[in-house]
Amino acid sequence: MRRRSITLAIGAVLVGIILATAVVSFFWLPYPPSDIGGGRLAPPSAAHLAGTDKLGRDLLTQLMIGARIALQVGAGSVAIGGVLGIALGLATAFAQRWLDDGLSAVLDVLIAFPTLLVAMLVVAASGASLGSAILAIGLAMSAVVARLTRILAKRVLSLDYITAARVSGTRWPGLILQHVLPNIWPTVVVNLALQFGLAVLAEASLSYLGLGSPPPNASWGSILQEAQGTVLVAPIGAVAPGVLLVVLVIGVNLVADGLRDVGDPTRRGRA
Amino acid sequence: MVSYLIRRFAFLVVTLVLASIVLFVLLRLLPGDPANALLSVGATKEQIASARADVGADLPVIEQFVRWFSQLARFDLGTSYISGLPVGPEIAQRLVVTVPLTLLAFVLAVIIAVPVGFVAAYKSHRWYGVALSAVSQLGIAVPVFWIGVLLVTFFALRLQLLPAGGFPQDDWQDPAAALRSLALPVITVAIVMAASVTRYVRSAVLDVLGSDYLRSSRALGASFAEAMWRHGLRNASVPVISILGIELATTFLGAVVVESVFALPGLGSMLLTSIAQHDYPDIQGVLFVSTFAVLIVGFLADTAQRLVDPRLRASVSGNRGGGSGGGGRRRGVGPASTAVPVAALPGTTDPGVVRS
Amino acid sequence: MKKKLGLATGIALVSALALAACSGTSSSSTKPADATINIGSVYEPQNLDNTAGGGQGVTEALNGNVYEGLFRLTDTGKVENLLAKSFKKSADGLTYTFDLQSGVTFHSGAKLTSADVKYSIEKVLADDSQSARKSSLAPISSVSTPDDSTVVVKLSSRSISLPYNLSYVWIIDSAAKNLKTSEDGTGPYELDSWKRGSTLSLTKYKGYWGTAAKNAGVVFHYYSDATALNNALLTNAVDVVTSEQSPDALAQFTGNSSYKVTDGKSTTKLLLAFNDKVAPFNKVGVRKAITSAIDNKQLLNSIWGDYGTLIGSMVPPTDPWYEDLTGVNPYDVTLAKKELAAAGYADGFTFTLDTPNYDPHPAAAQIIKSDLAKVGITVKINIITPDTWYSKVYQKHDFQATMQEHVNDRDVVFYGNPDFYWGYDNKQVTGWVDQAEQASTTDEQTALLKKVNTQIADDAASDWLYLYPQIVVASSKLSGYPVNGLNSQFYAYDIVKK
Repeated sequence: MRRRSITLAIGAVLVGIILATAVVSFFWLPYPPSDIGGGRLAPPSAAHLAGTDKLGRDLLTQLMIGARIALQVGAGSVAIGGVLGIALGLATAFAQRWLDDGLSAVLDVLIAFPTLLVAMLVVAASGASLGSAILAIGLAMSAVVARLTRILAKRVLSLDYITAARVSGTRWPGLILQHVLPNIWPTVVVNLALQFGLAVLAEASLSYLGLGSPPPNASWGSILQEAQGTVLVAPIGAVAPGVLLVVLVIGVNLVADGLRDVGDPTRRGRA
Repeated sequence: MVSYLIRRFAFLVVTLVLASIVLFVLLRLLPGDPANALLSVGATKEQIASARADVGADLPVIEQFVRWFSQLARFDLGTSYISGLPVGPEIAQRLVVTVPLTLLAFVLAVIIAVPVGFVAAYKSHRWYGVALSAVSQLGIAVPVFWIGVLLVTFFALRLQLLPAGGFPQDDWQDPAAALRSLALPVITVAIVMAASVTRYVRSAVLDVLGSDYLRSSRALGASFAEAMWRHGLRNASVPVISILGIELATTFLGAVVVESVFALPGLGSMLLTSIAQHDYPDIQGVLFVSTFAVLIVGFLADTAQRLVDPRLRASVSGNRGGGSGGGGRRRGVGPASTAVPVAALPGTTDPGVVRS
Repeated sequence: MKKKLGLATGIALVSALALAACSGTSSSSTKPADATINIGSVYEPQNLDNTAGGGQGVTEALNGNVYEGLFRLTDTGKVENLLAKSFKKSADGLTYTFDLQSGVTFHSGAKLTSADVKYSIEKVLADDSQSARKSSLAPISSVSTPDDSTVVVKLSSRSISLPYNLSYVWIIDSAAKNLKTSEDGTGPYELDSWKRGSTLSLTKYKGYWGTAAKNAGVVFHYYSDATALNNALLTNAVDVVTSEQSPDALAQFTGNSSYKVTDGKSTTKLLLAFNDKVAPFNKVGVRKAITSAIDNKQLLNSIWGDYGTLIGSMVPPTDPWYEDLTGVNPYDVTLAKKELAAAGYADGFTFTLDTPNYDPHPAAAQIIKSDLAKVGITVKINIITPDTWYSKVYQKHDFQATMQEHVNDRDVVFYGNPDFYWGYDNKQVTGWVDQAEQASTTDEQTALLKKVNTQIADDAASDWLYLYPQIVVASSKLSGYPVNGLNSQFYAYDIVKK
């Protein structure tokens, strides 16, 4: 029991740090994001705690905005992927056998394609923007969520008391609301938390490939991509965004693990 | 088994055809004009029209599709709009980089992950078991390109031990040179992959350790090693095999990022360029071959699972997985839960979406 | 058993990697003439045909190296005879007679004849040609071949730039096929192989008619981003980088005696192009106000540090009609405000800036946005792909303002075309551009184009933000490489590696 709550606590602290940074960035930033007055690639100083980028913009400011963007990406794509995926998953679980088979086969193939590939196609064609990245990642995620939902829902539906409820005339909306959702919810939430971290990583990769939104409203992936050319001269820009990404993703994963363990006491120490 | 193979093969072909159609339509729906990449500032209206005619962008979509598909039926992937090079041979050329990269990283990752995952589970109450588990947790949170950038900075730029990027001009003529070029990319991918696989191995071994059959086998007088050998490994390997299949497929497709870090002329970089240029024959070719590879890997993983786990041979077609697994088993990757790649089974960290 | 096998494979694999890591590249010291030069670039040819959308990369790799024209544009911007041994111009300036070099063979072994020259010129003029040079050769009415070594070109109107324009027309074997993926030129190198996405290698052509290349061959190594390219130079994978894309990495080379950094002259201008046909940019006052409100010096400094030049117009210093026009619309916020008020926009306005998504445009757009905010103008930055730019801005003229880099020399003449994407329509300028082309002396041509240049600056037809620097970084063992790279050409035949 103790280890489980420790996992959850550590995760919550890590996510909390990033969340707090993002919240603060809405009210206060060290410098205006596009202020280029800092001098090119200035080292860290009292005025610029993390130094400046290649145009002279304050790096700390950008990193703070990056926290905001990372959370937006995670939350946005989980919202899209979650809603779409759960709906699709429930639909297939209730569908006729042939439809279920067909959709499941399609989902299997979709899942095999990494989010990144789907996102690349969408973003490259429609132009790099945060919105299109979130949309693409959310769409790709929905296939995974749909499949999970379908499996879980089918299990619930095969239980004896559900069959009884069906026989006694409960219609499908009632089944979903009263029986299916409450039963599958804990597992789905844990999975969505993991998807959150994966979405953040996917967006970072996309930005790294030059398909993200450019500075000064840059994601950590874009900052890193811009800074890697000067890693020998000014390493902070290439190191700091990576560290922050790791902090956020580990934090989210730990929270997910902690939640799962709390929800399922039989899984001991499955970090 | 034979009927399984036939059914599985039919599924493969149908999926491939369906995927190609969907792909073709989706590409045409995306905004953009392939002729633009051929034109420069200063081109006249007539030149623009002629470039569009050259790439066939002025034809109706149906006609473009019929053209492409009839070529495909003759195992011809067409010719790039932009470079004028035949797509098939170019993909083959790119695979010379991407396939070794993926396979070497895969082998290296498995070699690291299997023992590490086993120890992390078997000694899960010792400090080093916990430490190994924590390191794998770190590994799955690190963006692959960041590891790449750090490795390049340290091993290539600072120590000048290995090339920072690129691939020998003569490919594998000089295997040592090719291996040197692939060393850092392989390690980069392997680190991330190993972290993820470690977690599955650990989870699967934990399941086996807590299982009734292991306990009863021990109770009947078998040593731990015997019991593990006779029952444990086989059972633990079933879920791990399906995960390995997924890891292999995602790494192959996700190679684009690591290829970009290391300037490798692989399949991923070909896709990235052709997407930017709206070079449809190239994009279609790469995605077709990728889909094919993914399906083959899935097929191999399923078949391997069946061979390892006799219980699955009895069950129905391969593509319908966990659903038929039935009720009761509410947790984790466990023996016999499914015949499909089970990325999304409840409660497990899911590498099935992104590996990058 | 399985496990042992796995372990064995693993040990083998790891030791192979380790072994590979230890065996360093052996840099064999050879005679300069036997050395192969490794050239790093970010401009890979899209294909190998410069009349079918090969792009900037095909000029860099093949122009002058594999293919030759009747004339050559030198690294300092002069036009010299190349495959044309000499030429005569008729008194009315409408007939040019070219006398070809003798003993020239194509890489396929075929002899160069006047028929090949006729074929090559007509290929550029053909209906399906996508050559950017097509319109500049429009005055040509016919090409005839009285004998094997003489070509006669007749013009419908005089064209003083004909020799210059012909320097971009590659002379190709008329029997050659598949020019997108192979070649048959007359240059000092022949194509060895093109591995798309990676390398293009050229080897010395034994049968070259002129002075042979001073090295055994060159390999162009292509990188999709500047970091990988610089890393290649730092790890000696390439000997020279044809053009640095940003000044950031230069610190690694400038302080290091193993490298030489040259700061040459480019012809690439970064433009803030207004749509001169739509409000509010149809008012000269508004355009002048914006030009005065943007601190080009600070912009250049932010992006290029101490490199690059301000020119104040479309004409780079290597064009004969260059004049420093930075004083026409000086950076002056008070003046800008006054001009805005005079144009009826005292309270400013809002416009959308269509910004290509690659460097340096997004960064430059940010700086422009903050400069213009100081005079009350709000900029909405709209990031677009090059593909969208070409469809939306270039073809449909559907934009208010945009940014674009114009890479060619002598392209001020675009302002004489009222149908061009920026919609600058000044009858006087159009007339001067036409007259300049029909001038009988270069002095006359230069005088007219100077008038064009001054006029477009006075009208602030666009805001010419700055001229890119042309920075070549090379190993200090290397000499004889071009430092200006006009129009991105890169003659490799004089490069010597010690």
